[in-house]
Amino acid sequence: MRSAAWLVLVLVVLALAPLALPPFFLQLLTEIAIVGLFATAFNLLMGFGGMVSFGHAAYFALGAYTAALLVKRLGVPLLLALPAAPIVAAAGALLFGFFIVRLSHTYFAMLSLAFAQIVFTVIFKWKTLTGGDDGLLDVWPPTLLKSPAAYYYFTLAIVGVCIWALHAIVASPFGYALKAVRENPRRARYIGIDVRRHQLAAFVISGAFSGVAGGLFAFYNGSVFPDFAYFTKSFEPLVVALLGGVQSFFGPLAGAFGFKLLEWAISRQWPVYWPLFLGAVVVVVIVLLPSGFVGLVGGRLWRTRSAKA
Amino acid sequence: MSWITNGPLITVQVMSGLSVGMLLFLVSVGMSLIFGVTRIVNLAHGCFYMVGAYLMVTLVEILPDRAWTFWLALLLAPLGVAALGGLIEIGLLRLIYHRDPLMQLILTFGLILVIGTLVLLAWGPDNKSVSRPEALAGSVKIFGQPFPSYYVLVLVLAPIVAIGLWLVFYRTRWGMLVRAATVDREMLGALGVNVAALYTQVFMFGSWLAGFGGALAAPTVAVALGMDGDVLTTAFVVVVIGGLGSFAGSFIGALLVGLLQSFGILIFPAISIVLLFALMAIVLIVRPWGLLGRPEA
Repeated sequence: MRSAAWLVLVLVVLALAPLALPPFFLQLLTEIAIVGLFATAFNLLMGFGGMVSFGHAAYFALGAYTAALLVKRLGVPLLLALPAAPIVAAAGALLFGFFIVRLSHTYFAMLSLAFAQIVFTVIFKWKTLTGGDDGLLDVWPPTLLKSPAAYYYFTLAIVGVCIWALHAIVASPFGYALKAVRENPRRARYIGIDVRRHQLAAFVISGAFSGVAGGLFAFYNGSVFPDFAYFTKSFEPLVVALLGGVQSFFGPLAGAFGFKLLEWAISRQWPVYWPLFLGAVVVVVIVLLPSGFVGLVGGRLWRTRSAKA
Repeated sequence: MSWITNGPLITVQVMSGLSVGMLLFLVSVGMSLIFGVTRIVNLAHGCFYMVGAYLMVTLVEILPDRAWTFWLALLLAPLGVAALGGLIEIGLLRLIYHRDPLMQLILTFGLILVIGTLVLLAWGPDNKSVSRPEALAGSVKIFGQPFPSYYVLVLVLAPIVAIGLWLVFYRTRWGMLVRAATVDREMLGALGVNVAALYTQVFMFGSWLAGFGGALAAPTVAVALGMDGDVLTTAFVVVVIGGLGSFAGSFIGALLVGLLQSFGILIFPAISIVLLFALMAIVLIVRPWGLLGRPEA
């Protein structure tokens, strides 16, 4: 009941935001919603499946490029191009995930990163299709959605539906089976759960929603670049989820809020230093806090894991 | 497919593939070695390669312009990288060996951002290049086909390093300790070996190898900011194919990948990277722990 009240409050504040905020902050909020969706999709794997992907930018970029290419090269309208983003991202996640879920822990993370680098290289090198380093420019939404407020509401609606769907997935029997796999893969296998199939399904779902985030971001940004698939981009949902808390479903959304505000505050003054700052924060927090970031927000999963190791 | 009957072209292609593979070997064996002993997958390993190349640029610039300048720089640049590796190991990694492996991965991922930005600040955004030493600036004829002389140096130097590595690992006491540490670290410590010092030495040695690879590769590539990511991916593929922690696996993996890239560019110029991925996928299906690696515990 209390959480329902909170939800209504948050929705009302978000719905009224365009009345009070200048366009710039509406754009920032739009970006926060997109990054929040990306991190929540990522956290379906990390928080609920116990799988840490270091290459989720691949699916974000597949979604972004799919939407942008359909609009730019084939003149498909946005409302048809956007649904194609998760489909292509899911197909990519299925192809790569098939191999990635065969491995665990460190190997899982490494292989997902390697696949993402391959996606990056293909986008970077395939100049005739993707524009290579120059990216694809002028990928704007139709006039109706062009104003910051309109695109803000549009993004909010889609992100809202996606978050609701992800929440339903986590709360479903599939979500519980996934958590069982995370806690003890061997025992999960004994009670009849097909571990790899559940992991692959989670990987594909996570990839699909990352693709939605990518598609939304393409039109928000008005352009797409190979950087979307670069490993620094893969780092983003990881840090956002860790900041917000991997144990909680809504943690990554809160993390996205803090992360983007921080990024805005720092890059506004020293754009070059932002990656340095981000990397340094990660390094310092991991070294100085004995239980890591997650200790700050009470990560049970991570603590039991390190206790075993 | 006319190239298939062109013997000299194939020979040259094999040789250039092998020289690319040799450079890759230097990077990936260091990564593999560090993993074998410390159990840390050093994602910043590509950065060490990049720093090696950039140090080479600077050293060639600031050292007096003599015949031996290039060679002195080639000696000093990897040592600088080894020092950097030592600092990172003592200052950061030593504090997190007992932690969740994923935390260690995230830390080295963070180091990529830090080192990448510091390199940008120190050397600027423009691409750099290192000119080859005069004696090796031209090309030699191999069965009538031109082949860059500098690649001959790579082909000669890298196997010497490989043999040197083998001698170190299998014929010295230190190498024996390193191999023992890859099998059972606790036992080694219990036997009275200073494992902490061994970790630092191994990490510095691995960094030196990456730095040497970067310095040696500098005259053959554009020294640019993204080079760490590129080499990291390729080294990954090598290590995944060969098996993490396996010395011989890195060697075979590196040569395979080098040859595949060399012929991939000849046959399917646009999708040579996909061949790489296909090879890795096949290895992962058949042997997830790599050709010569050990299965995960």
